[in-house]
Amino acid sequence: MRKSIKLFTTMLVLAVAIIVIQSLSDQKVEASSQELYVYNWGDYIEPELIDRFEQESGYKVIYETFDSNESMYVKVNSGSSPYDVIFPSEYMVDKMAEEHMLVELDKSLLPNLKNVDPYFLDQEFDEGNTYSVPYFWGTVGIAYNTEIYDQLELDYPTSYQDLWNPGLVDNVLLLDGAREIVGSSLNSLGYSLNSTNDNELNQAKQNLLNLAPNVKGVVGDEIKMLMANNEAAAAIVWAGDAQLIQEDNENIEFITPQAGSNIYLDNIAIPKTSSNIEGAHEFINFLMDNEVASINTDYVGYASPITSVMNEPEHIADETYYPSAKIRENLEYYANLDPDNLKRYNNIFLEFKISL
Amino acid sequence: MKKSKIVIVIAAIILYAPLAYLMFYSFNSANSMSHFESFTLEHYANLFSGTGLLQIVANSIVVGILSALLAVVFGTLGAIAIYQLKNPKKNYQLKQLNNIMILAPDVVIGVAFLSLFTMFGIKLGLVSVVLTHAVFCTPIVVITLLPRLEQIEVSQIKAALDLGAKAKDIIKIILLPNIEDAIILSFFTSIFYSFDDFGVTFFVTGNGFVTLPIEIYSQARRGINLELNALSTIMIIIIFMAVIGYQLYLKRGGRNA
Repeated sequence: MRKSIKLFTTMLVLAVAIIVIQSLSDQKVEASSQELYVYNWGDYIEPELIDRFEQESGYKVIYETFDSNESMYVKVNSGSSPYDVIFPSEYMVDKMAEEHMLVELDKSLLPNLKNVDPYFLDQEFDEGNTYSVPYFWGTVGIAYNTEIYDQLELDYPTSYQDLWNPGLVDNVLLLDGAREIVGSSLNSLGYSLNSTNDNELNQAKQNLLNLAPNVKGVVGDEIKMLMANNEAAAAIVWAGDAQLIQEDNENIEFITPQAGSNIYLDNIAIPKTSSNIEGAHEFINFLMDNEVASINTDYVGYASPITSVMNEPEHIADETYYPSAKIRENLEYYANLDPDNLKRYNNIFLEFKISL
Repeated sequence: MKKSKIVIVIAAIILYAPLAYLMFYSFNSANSMSHFESFTLEHYANLFSGTGLLQIVANSIVVGILSALLAVVFGTLGAIAIYQLKNPKKNYQLKQLNNIMILAPDVVIGVAFLSLFTMFGIKLGLVSVVLTHAVFCTPIVVITLLPRLEQIEVSQIKAALDLGAKAKDIIKIILLPNIEDAIILSFFTSIFYSFDDFGVTFFVTGNGFVTLPIEIYSQARRGINLELNALSTIMIIIIFMAVIGYQLYLKRGGRNA
């Protein structure tokens, strides 16, 4: 018996020691300062900026991360933590605003809102930016492998139609998302990716079924690894994923189709759980500061909606992740479709997957 | 080489190759696991220069130890309680109730505890995570201990009773010493269950308190940072040394100490 008592006591002492050391090392910021709870995607901010904000504002930032819009929604909805700033995608802003989970923004506390390119403001999911401001953005497009294209002696793709090329048999990967894939089929026919027109949707379905011989697979996260390993010539992916693939394989290029595609935005908002609404505004305003946004963009690597960052020479030259105004004209956000129409998209996608 | 040896070698390779792969890339100067650029200790330096990852590991260790201690206390008491039941039907029912906690999906337990804590206004953080982990580790302790209790010779207990031992004495002198090894085993099993858990933990972390699996999952959207490889390498080495150390300790005959 002595053996286990010794073991358990040692362990208990160890645990308590760690807690004590942790709480001692946590005294950097004065205990009296007010706290600000930030809930963000993992690895989605330059960590030094948090330190800088703490010093400038005097708030102590309590930083937590989530891995999907849905899990964030559950945690915020439970009201278990007093989150002050959250980072939902556009459809989640719409949903949370509808359920009265967000605080209306006080624009007088956000003077830096003028730094944001008007192209990203006043969108359908949050008209007049009542509840949210943009954080980072990206597009859905085609990642392709120049080496494989050269071997196949095909021209590089510029639009979704090019994926239907008979020379690409068994060489196209698709990300596993009904809105994205049915949307790109609609785009390739010249229709809106939010179409609810029966005729258009039927055509899009037929069109997708015709794509089947070229499709190597409909895959989730592993699409990045497959593309990086030269497993397919082209893939429909999000810009963020394309970037990660490019880091691994220098033969990968990414384009946003000219004829139209999807643009997505991650946003910053204040949930009703907030007990420090003033500090939350201060933090949001801080993130929209030109210099801060530039530092943050260098770290995160996604496209920034801040005008001055977009106009940095390296970003103007970057046609891949900062598509030209001409291409941007044809980009659309996903409209928040009603459940019936959403089901039609899902059914088309399901039929297509079954046909593979 | 004998056939059985070949099988063991193949099995070992299959089991350890992924770990070796992960450890190898922790020294990669490129920022991903797709190709090896050149040797660097940069990721280790980043790990220790404090981006908070070590703090999170410390959180996980504290949660593991405290919840395992609680689980061992309640699990041992529970196992003895089930063991001494004379009514076989009740005994069976309690065992099944115990199994339900083991088989219940993580999300269900997680959401249940989230609503419980919210209802009683318990602040999410270290306490909520420790309590929840203690709850899902307790049934594991119970099923580890029960078979060991049932192996104890009934004659020992009968003899003790004949000699006038009270229930307290029987537990202290016969039951506990007989199952001590299993208690220690279940303690470590609980720590590892706790350390690994994502499904339940996600719902009961909050107020800035995060454990390692939560941090790793939340990084998945942007690709795993090689700092995690560095961290994993260190953990694998520590566990490896602990296992070897334990073996040496056994060999030295320390078991009877």
